[in-house]
Parts: sequence; structure tokens; C-alpha cells
Amino acid sequence: MKRLMLLTVIFCFLLSGTVAAQSVPEEFLGIPVPEGELVKQSKKRLELMSPKTHDQLLGYYKEQLEGMEDIKIRDWTDQSYIEDDSNRPWHSITIDKEPEGGKTRVVIMKDNWTWIIGTLLLRYVGVFVVLLVLLVGMTISGKIISSRVEKTEAKK
Amino acid sequence: MTSNEILDLLFSTLRTTGVWNFQFNIIVMWAIGSLFIWLAIAKKYEPLLLLPIGFGIFIVNFPLVPMMGYADGGYPHLLQFFYRYGLEWEIIPCVIFLGLGAMTDFGPLIANPKTLIIGAGAQLGVFITFTGTVLAGFTLKEAASVGIIGGADGPTTVYLTQHLAPQLLGANALAAYSYMAMVPILQPPIMRLMTNSKERVIKMRQLRTVSRQEKILFPMITAGIIALLVPSVIPLMGMFMLGNLMKESGVVARLTDTAQGSLMNIVTIFLGLSVGATMHADKFLSWKPLFIFGLGLIDFGVCTIGGILTVKIMNKFLKEKINPLIGAAGVSAVPMAARVVQMEGIKYDKSNHMLMHAVGPNLAGVIGSAAAAGMFIAMFD
Repeated sequence: MKRLMLLTVIFCFLLSGTVAAQSVPEEFLGIPVPEGELVKQSKKRLELMSPKTHDQLLGYYKEQLEGMEDIKIRDWTDQSYIEDDSNRPWHSITIDKEPEGGKTRVVIMKDNWTWIIGTLLLRYVGVFVVLLVLLVGMTISGKIISSRVEKTEAKK
Repeated sequence: MTSNEILDLLFSTLRTTGVWNFQFNIIVMWAIGSLFIWLAIAKKYEPLLLLPIGFGIFIVNFPLVPMMGYADGGYPHLLQFFYRYGLEWEIIPCVIFLGLGAMTDFGPLIANPKTLIIGAGAQLGVFITFTGTVLAGFTLKEAASVGIIGGADGPTTVYLTQHLAPQLLGANALAAYSYMAMVPILQPPIMRLMTNSKERVIKMRQLRTVSRQEKILFPMITAGIIALLVPSVIPLMGMFMLGNLMKESGVVARLTDTAQGSLMNIVTIFLGLSVGATMHADKFLSWKPLFIFGLGLIDFGVCTIGGILTVKIMNKFLKEKINPLIGAAGVSAVPMAARVVQMEGIKYDKSNHMLMHAVGPNLAGVIGSAAAAGMFIAMFD
């Protein structure tokens, strides 16, 4: 009896897992989700594998997002990256270019403060880097020119 | 002619006047325009810009005036023409930078290149304000354009705002120029708060003489480095450095005179009028401009604090200490911020003249705010 109950529980667990894996939401944070198999879903992130190709998926999202303002589409080497720069609840859609087992990975991320703070910090450091490089350039050129001027004056 | 016909004629004539189409919200805009004209004339706050901006605000806020719209044939009206080809095409801020470059002596910055770091540190407010603006519900692009106000660099603010959030151009430009004009009021209390009496009397060594060759090479090096690291802002910085190269080369005196004189004056008129003309009551009267003014003030304060803190951190590692008061000049607002440092410094030691020392971070602030603007443009393009 115990074995039967255990088997029933395991069966129900597996069944629920299979159902969960197949039940792809129609949308995530207001962005339509294409057909496919749900891999992982949390409040901040949705990952799925779609039978459609990268180009088909990119075309699908371009069509869905047509007319929306502040949408940026970037063509990276191994992924296409769609980013929202306005106040929509989702932040990005990443579509892999290389299929895995005939399926394409799509990841949708929620708009998040980690990204905002991270990118701001990075860019603030970037300002320092730019001015530090300029500082190095000026110091080196200053020393070279000063020594040349001194030599010229000494000759005179 | 019947009395009805006469009345019809009278009404049809009346309908073509501004009186018939009058809206009460434009009175607020007249008051705002007049306020800036008053600040320019009576208080002499950035008069070269606040006067045309104020008049631009005033004149576009009359019903039916053919100033910022389009004629029947699709041709732009006068101020729309200035706006479209000057600001929308991002030409005016770059031409102003050409003139500024032709006016600027980078000698103090070249003599003490360490002050470049202060210019970077003073951009702190730009990034902090960005966060606050996003929290208030602005879009990321709008937040970036509001954040740059703290850099206290008018042309950079106009350039970035036009690029990312043109709908905020009027409010952002007005906030930037207003706070730049109010540097002598806003900065001294922050400077006193952030420094102690010992720090305020630190005397810095006299700057070395900079050779002509160094001055000629500087714009080339700067333009090259900026073009490599932050290419998106090279229209601004490239023109800035070209203006400076023209000045330092000494071989194109006529061009230098034109860039820093007539050309600069002409584009300043167009800039002021175009910016003012974007502020029509229908678009401007909302909570956003007020919020931008409030955030801009905090932004400006944090940038000043950022510059002073940077000097204090640098002093931990330097043998020859820097007077932290010059950190306040890192916010650009050339040359007003440097003058404020000088005035504040001699209050505590009459023999401590810091004007030339403060010009270094002041100019570094211009480069720093342009670099920050470039970072934002790269983030969204």
C-alpha cells in the first residue's frame, strides 16, 4: 500500500512537472511569449526553448513591438538583444542565434534595478577611465615636450 | 449690407485674432518668460542666454502666432526653422563648443593634469540624479537627460537632451542655465559644509609655465582619446578641440575671432530663442518641469560635493595637498565656478589666490560632463 501511495505521489509530481514544462504563458510582464517549451520561470525571468528559428523569433518580436517607442534591437555575435528603455515592466529579450537540439533559447528579463545601478556605476567609472587615459597622455606628452624645449633652450 | 452680415464679418475678423483664441494657461508662461527676462536684465544672470530664452517663451505663448508651427506649404515657421536646423540637427551646441574652444586657455589644466580626476569625480550627481529620476517615473532616456544638468554645461545638456529626450529640452536647458547662473549663490554653502578651516587655507604651488607646443598638442591628444573611448560625443568635443587648436596655433586669427565672436553670438541668439520656443503652455505646464528644477538643484549640489570629495580622497595619496575648495569648480560652469572658488578662498586667506588652480578642474569638468553625456548616448544608441 505504501509503495502504491509513493508511486502515486511520484507519478503526480512528474505529471505536474511535465504539465508545467509545457504550459507556456501567453505573455510575461506584458510581453507576448512565442510557442515553445517553458524551461524556467520566476518573477524576474522567463526562459523557454522555441521550435522557431532565431530569424523567425526576431521577426515575431519586431512585429509585436512595432510602433513602440524606446525599443532598442542589438545584433550581437551569438544573440539578438532587444531592450526597453522606457518604463515597461520587462527589460530585455535575448534570442540565441545557435539552436540547441533544433530549438532556440529565448530569455525575457524583468526591468531591474541591478541593471540600472550596475550600468550607472560602470559608466561613472568609465568617465574616470576616460579622464585618466587623458591624464596619462598629457603627462607623457608634457614630459617629452618639456625636455625638448629645455634642450632647445640649453643649446641657445 | 444687413446687420447680421456686418456681425458675421466682425466675428470672422475677430476669430483671426489672438483675443478670440485666448487661453488662460498662457498667462503663466508669460510670467515665466518675463521672470527670465527680469533675471537676465536686473540680476544679470546668464543674460546672453536667459534673455533670448525668456523672450522665446513669451512670444510663442500667444494664440495663432506663426512661430513654432508649419505654414500651409509645410514650410517651418521662423522659430521652428531655427529649432529644426539648429537643435534637432544638433548643430548649435557643437558650434557653441567651437567658439568656447577658441576662447579657452587650457594652460592651467595642462600644467596640473591631476585636476582631470576632479572633473570626473564631480559627475557624481549626474549618475545619482539619474537614479532619482527613474524612481520618479521618468523613462531611462529622460533620466539621463535630467541627470546631465548637474554637469552644469549648457551646450552638453542641450546636446544630450535633444538626442535622448527632446520633449524635455526647454525644462532641462532652462534648469541648466539657471543653476549655472546661480553658482555664486548655490556653491559657497556647500563648499563651507564640506571643508574645514585648515583645508580652506591650503596653499598650492604656483603652476608651471606651459609651452606653446604643449598647448597645440593638447587638443589633438584630447580629441584622439575622446574619439577612441567615447566616439558618440565627438561632434561636441571635436569642435571644442578644433576651436582650441585654431586659437593655440596662432595662424588662423581671423577664424579664431569669428568662432569666438560673431559666430558664437549668432548661434547663441538662435539657441536661446529655439529653447524658449519649445516651452509652449500646452507642453510645458505639467509636474515634470517643476520636478526637473527640483532634481537639478540636488544634482548640482551632489556634483559640487563629488568634486570636493574627490580632492579629499586625492589628498590622502598626494604629498603636495590640493585645496579641496577647487573641487567645487569640477562642475564646469566655466569660468563662474572657478571665480567662486577664488572668492571663497580669499575669504580665509587673502594671499591665497586660487583662480588659476580652479580653472584646471573647471575645464576638466567640461570634458567630464561631455564624457558622461557620451556614456549615456552609448547606453541608448
